[in-house]
Amino acid sequence: MGEFKVHRVRFFDYIPSGIRALAFNQDTERIAVARMDGSVEIFHCPDRCFQEKIIPGREQCGIEGLSWVGDRLFSAGLNGEITEYDLTNQKVKYTLDAYGGPIWAITGNQQGTHLAVGCEDGTVKLFELIEDTIQFERNLDRQKSRIISLSWHPSGSKIAAGMMDAIQIFNIETGHSIHRMLVDRGVGTSRSRECVVWSVVYLSNGTIISGDSVGMIKIWDDQTGTLIKSHFITKSDVLALSVSRDEDSIVAGTSEGTVVQFQFIAMVLGKDDKEWVRTRTFKNHTHDIRAVAEITTAVVSGGMDTHLVVKPLLDKIEVKSAASAFRKICFPHRRLVSCAKKSGLMLFQYTGHLELWKLGESEGQGMPGSSLLIKKNPEKLLHLKLKGEDHIRCSAVSPCGEWIVYSTASSLRLYQLHCANNNVSITKISNLPKVLSSANQLCFSSDSSHLFSASTQSVHLVSLSQDGCKFVGTLKPKSGSHQAIHLLAASEDGKWLASANSDHEVHIYNLQTLKAHCTVPVYSSAVTAMGIHPTTNCLFMMHADQQMFEYSIELKQYTDWSRTVQRKGLHSLWLNRDTPCLNVMFNPQNPSHVILHDAYMLCIIDQSLPLPDDKALFYNQLTLKSLPEKQRKSQSHAFKVCKTFKDILCVELMSDQSLVVVERPLEDLATQLPAPIKQKKFAT
Amino acid sequence: MSKLTDTQIESSDDELPEEVAFDASKSAALKNVKDALEAVKREKDILKEKRKKRQQLFQEQKKKKLIPQELLEEFDTNPQKQEDPPVKNDIEENVSTKPLDINKDKEQKKKSRPKKRSKSLPDSYNVMRIKDESASKPLQQKALDFIQSRLYGPGTKRTTNVELLSLSKKRGTNQGAAVLFANKKLGVEKNARIVRSNKRFMKQHKLASF
Repeated sequence: MGEFKVHRVRFFDYIPSGIRALAFNQDTERIAVARMDGSVEIFHCPDRCFQEKIIPGREQCGIEGLSWVGDRLFSAGLNGEITEYDLTNQKVKYTLDAYGGPIWAITGNQQGTHLAVGCEDGTVKLFELIEDTIQFERNLDRQKSRIISLSWHPSGSKIAAGMMDAIQIFNIETGHSIHRMLVDRGVGTSRSRECVVWSVVYLSNGTIISGDSVGMIKIWDDQTGTLIKSHFITKSDVLALSVSRDEDSIVAGTSEGTVVQFQFIAMVLGKDDKEWVRTRTFKNHTHDIRAVAEITTAVVSGGMDTHLVVKPLLDKIEVKSAASAFRKICFPHRRLVSCAKKSGLMLFQYTGHLELWKLGESEGQGMPGSSLLIKKNPEKLLHLKLKGEDHIRCSAVSPCGEWIVYSTASSLRLYQLHCANNNVSITKISNLPKVLSSANQLCFSSDSSHLFSASTQSVHLVSLSQDGCKFVGTLKPKSGSHQAIHLLAASEDGKWLASANSDHEVHIYNLQTLKAHCTVPVYSSAVTAMGIHPTTNCLFMMHADQQMFEYSIELKQYTDWSRTVQRKGLHSLWLNRDTPCLNVMFNPQNPSHVILHDAYMLCIIDQSLPLPDDKALFYNQLTLKSLPEKQRKSQSHAFKVCKTFKDILCVELMSDQSLVVVERPLEDLATQLPAPIKQKKFAT
Repeated sequence: MSKLTDTQIESSDDELPEEVAFDASKSAALKNVKDALEAVKREKDILKEKRKKRQQLFQEQKKKKLIPQELLEEFDTNPQKQEDPPVKNDIEENVSTKPLDINKDKEQKKKSRPKKRSKSLPDSYNVMRIKDESASKPLQQKALDFIQSRLYGPGTKRTTNVELLSLSKKRGTNQGAAVLFANKKLGVEKNARIVRSNKRFMKQHKLASF
């Protein structure tokens, strides 16, 4: 029923960037993640931690701290600048130089009025938040060593600063230091090096908890300025600390990759004398953990191994569901590979360049599951490096393989590709229409005659021809939010275009009249992939909670098949998958097939077959093979899952009926990461 | 020892001490002094010769370093002021500009960097664009170096990713060989070293090589 030749591609050397900072916004339940290359990602925690927004970074822009103040997001880095982000349009709003040298820490107070930054020159600078921007207010007393970490007291009257070999408490009103507490250097060889207090946390009852480079968690009292208790948790550094909202639990991240939890509980059950006791240890990382955050029911940690780990705290969860399951997010929830279906080309999007490859050819036939001999190796046709410092936000290649377009935060470039015999040359199209200044998402029409560019809430339509490109029109929704569009899907016949934005709205436009046609009813989960069927013109949508909907564009309502799926419900094994589907494809030869993939499986849904019961065997491909022909028909159901490929980044169906699977094995990625700490294990 | 005592006894018993003429001993002493003086003179001469030779060698090396005049004439496009190479003047006052290479086969749009190298400036001067050198760069670099040295520098115990993967393979659920041997790309250097040491062993023990 489905025999495909599969091109197994492993030459996409995609290396994600390490996680440097985390910030959790309690009110909107979103977690902001800052990476080492300067990009900021927003994950929506209740919606299966779906990666809602990505704000790309720039060259030589390192972020050291991230902070939410109200619903505004600020970051600061070693280039000495404070950056505010525009989350609606997914870009940088403005940057402000703090004039204090490299900034090591940034934190906002609980009242939402001020922002404090800790600088290399030893000053803590206070900024006042005014309507659309921030304004420098004053400096606190200048110290001799650099300020590495900061923490406001919940009342906003005091601030604790972690420096080299010391912790200082400042009175915000006067700006003077109240206490100076010296931190011990370690024993032995570490006595000659200064002790760096990597992070501090100030609790409302006056306790200060600090994690330093000796590997100790120290608990201090701010009334007397003395050390209360000291816990030794690791031989390497304690790099990150985070306190829960109720201030009864602290999580610490170490250089070895372990997360340690301390809880404020009584040693003897029932008694009242509480103290900080070490309770849990999680070992979910292999490299240094640079940031931890405790959200309501889970601990989120991230570090140099580039994985974001969400570990649920089982004592805070009432109902065990898929939404509160252990999650390890390794790959982005956006497509980084686009394929030219008719000419067998693939475009790989890196942060600073693009690569265009031509697929190889094989010869001969083989049994299912075997690999064929390669007649012609895949070859790299083009390596396109970016000018300027911005990173690429999105890119696309047209189905015929003639046009390449990419967009950064500030510019958009369109190129025409000429492949004559063995020579490849590209020409840049200049004089682009002014509306094409920057795009959040790009898409070509199926006949490669038009380019759709989504910026803010509208989609611009541009026609492409040998003479160049001409602006045709703008598609705007009738009403709706101003959130940026992150997905576009065009129909095969060139009549319809669907767009999905971060507010879970899906709009469908009529391309002949250039007007909005209809809007799909809003669903509570975000759209991760969508596609329009070539013959029936039905929009197939996959959501982050693994639900699927099929909406008929011409009839403006859900299809009968979709209603049956919702009525019956999906199998629990399908709903418990932890990675989102990133691509929806259709097979022209079999109109009732829908091909989906996520990071660990490839699935073909046959809409003509019955749906599986919750109690039926879901992964039944192997059992079906062993059954005789007649029994197969009665046993088979609509979901056919193939788990041969792992760590999949993209699956695409080419026009010659071959599948391309782009894999990125995590082991290959692990060899490119920075060095981990040496840990002695028994019997090695 | 017996011989010595015999001669001593012999000489002390019978005869008078030998008569040595004053002249002979005087001439012997003078000869000694002369010899010593000559030896010192000879040594001084030898050292002098050595120093002279070394100085000559250095001068010749210096001569070789300077580009001969004909080549200088070939390179120049502008009228030049030349000085005689044997006269110690290293400052060459020619400006040579290399044409920018534009590769047309694979269009690469790199960041444009200036390729003019002016040879008229003394060695301690350097040409830079103002855009490249901003005020915060050295501070930022210092901060980056600080973090790099604290996390990865001396005093930290770091190992390689390959070793980490191999350890997990040894202690994990699906136990297998170390990654260096299983994955050909990673174990390239180690494999090369093993092949070389095998060859050496075979040669040493004169085993037949096939």
